[in-house]
Amino acid sequence: MEQRRVAVGLMTQHSAAADRRADTARQLQRRPLRPAQPQRPEPVPEPEQQPPHRQRHAMQEETQAFYLRHEDVTQVLRPIRERPWSSSGFGSQVWVLTVRSLRTVFGDFKLVFFGLLQPVVLLLLFSQVFKGVGSLPSVSVYRTYVNYLMPATLVNIAMTTAMSSGVGLLAEIYTGFIGRLRAMPINMLSVLVARTLSDAVRLAVQLVVIVVAAVLFLDFRPAGVLGITAATALSVVAGWGLGWLFVAIATWQNKPETMQAVSFIVMFPLMFASNAYMPVQALPGWLQLVAKGNPLTYVISAERELSLGLPIDSALPIALALVAAAALIGGFASARNFRRTR
Amino acid sequence: MERPRIEVLDLGKSYGQVNALANVTLRVGAGTVLGVLGHNGAGKTTLVDILATRGRPTTGSAKVCGWDVVKHGDKVRERIGMTSQFVAVDDGMTGRDNLILLARLLGANARQAKARAEELLEAFDLVDAANRKSSTYSGGMRRRLDLAASLISRPDVLFLDEPTTGLDPASRTDVWGFVERLAADGTTVFLTTQYLEEADRLAHQVVVLAAGYVVASGTPDQLKAGIGKRHVMVTLASSHATFHAAAALTRHRLSPVADAKLCTVMVPIPEAGDIAAVVRALDSARIPIQDLKISEPSLNDVYMALHRSGWNSDGWRSAS
Repeated sequence: MEQRRVAVGLMTQHSAAADRRADTARQLQRRPLRPAQPQRPEPVPEPEQQPPHRQRHAMQEETQAFYLRHEDVTQVLRPIRERPWSSSGFGSQVWVLTVRSLRTVFGDFKLVFFGLLQPVVLLLLFSQVFKGVGSLPSVSVYRTYVNYLMPATLVNIAMTTAMSSGVGLLAEIYTGFIGRLRAMPINMLSVLVARTLSDAVRLAVQLVVIVVAAVLFLDFRPAGVLGITAATALSVVAGWGLGWLFVAIATWQNKPETMQAVSFIVMFPLMFASNAYMPVQALPGWLQLVAKGNPLTYVISAERELSLGLPIDSALPIALALVAAAALIGGFASARNFRRTR
Repeated sequence: MERPRIEVLDLGKSYGQVNALANVTLRVGAGTVLGVLGHNGAGKTTLVDILATRGRPTTGSAKVCGWDVVKHGDKVRERIGMTSQFVAVDDGMTGRDNLILLARLLGANARQAKARAEELLEAFDLVDAANRKSSTYSGGMRRRLDLAASLISRPDVLFLDEPTTGLDPASRTDVWGFVERLAADGTTVFLTTQYLEEADRLAHQVVVLAAGYVVASGTPDQLKAGIGKRHVMVTLASSHATFHAAAALTRHRLSPVADAKLCTVMVPIPEAGDIAAVVRALDSARIPIQDLKISEPSLNDVYMALHRSGWNSDGWRSAS
């Protein structure tokens, strides 16, 4: 043990090793430790061609050279009593993590492109496949099926994003990055808040793109800028609130596959057993009952009223109350499940 | 004398009926490397998780830097660095951004975080790769980035959970160099490993965990002297030659174990440690040697020896 310590100590003695260091540096120029730099013109001796004892010698030299090259490491790594900065607050943790998520999401061109394309394709499909629904008396008052469908699409996208919040959180747990945060002096709730906030920003961008696309290409006619802005804002709030439910599911069970399955089971009935694609009156009797109890029906109604300039009825306050309830329940459940310790 | 940086007293952790840790007691001082040896499932990671405040002990207590890991987790987290068994960096970001992000989370402002990231990139030889996404890094580079990330806050205690598993020899040597440096500068390093060689090279103190129990502890030399034995493994031309070799070695007062199928003879090296005695014995009997290997004591030997001395997979067979 002592010997080892002495050896390390010797290597740190700058003056004593000065000329040897110059030699080693020159050797390093020829045989870089890593990465191998092919542009160097000098012929590099192949380590395989050297006899074994020479090889070992070369390895020792490399190790030594490594130490010498890193003689300043000491200053950088040495533990100190007082850090030049104090620990961060909750707000700045949320901010730093949110910005990080957004940079990751928007830094990947392919991800952004297909993420934006997906709802447009869905809208295109639904608007054509269900075109006949437009002739139903309770839909024809909206003039076209797109006008009827578009507010529901805003909610559909919000649901998809909410679902991806849960999946995204699980993926992050899976990479181990969140495991690192667990051993750091930060509030773990900031991870969840940052996740839902950055997804809400992503959602807002998606919604703006699809509204513009629908107006330009599908003859969607919202009542006015104010109305469609309010509808978009409601969708962002709904996506954020519902996101907490899916985050709660993600913290409750820890497998991405299960998460996906649970999410689809939650999402598809909620979307289809509602007034999203068909008026409630056109559904079979038992499904009408389900649709009337479905929280999404109220959110979609509120979206229609806001975006198409219809009279605002009780749907909007009910929708807001439901979203708030989802956020609260989801928030509490995730905070309880997403503890630092297991 | 300074307080120990890590104090573990009678620590236990059970998941339902399964005991992951039992009766673990440790003390580790400043600037000491503690090597925790054990096979998969021995309880190494469970122990690290409890000390790094990521898991709660079922029984007993643990203090890191004088703070109780359960009651004062925040204080502990401010003083430790942690490198998990699997590299935990954000692959969607560059190496530099990874370090800046974590420094910001630790409270540094943008300028301080950048300065700290540059220092660490330099120290861990990652300057050239700093602007590349960490997903493009090699295994060794990822581990160096991981280590750099765990040192941002200049921790007093660094936990390294199997830091060299899956690394090539050169990268392994790098990691060893950093650990030696850190310990020399006063950092307490809590290192888990499956490799006896690694513990031998780095650790001042070694603890062997098996099925959640500490089955041996001491300096590496103490452990090896008490447990491991070096062997010479000789390979011969035929099974016939193998028997002759075994006979010749026995005449020279060695204790060979012959394997006629594999044509090998295993000879424990005697206390005096004269390996040439094996060669002389075979040479004087004019038996040609095809191959000769010296096997160092392995973790396996340690385990087998411990097993024979009273430990089994359920814990201690008998009270000592």
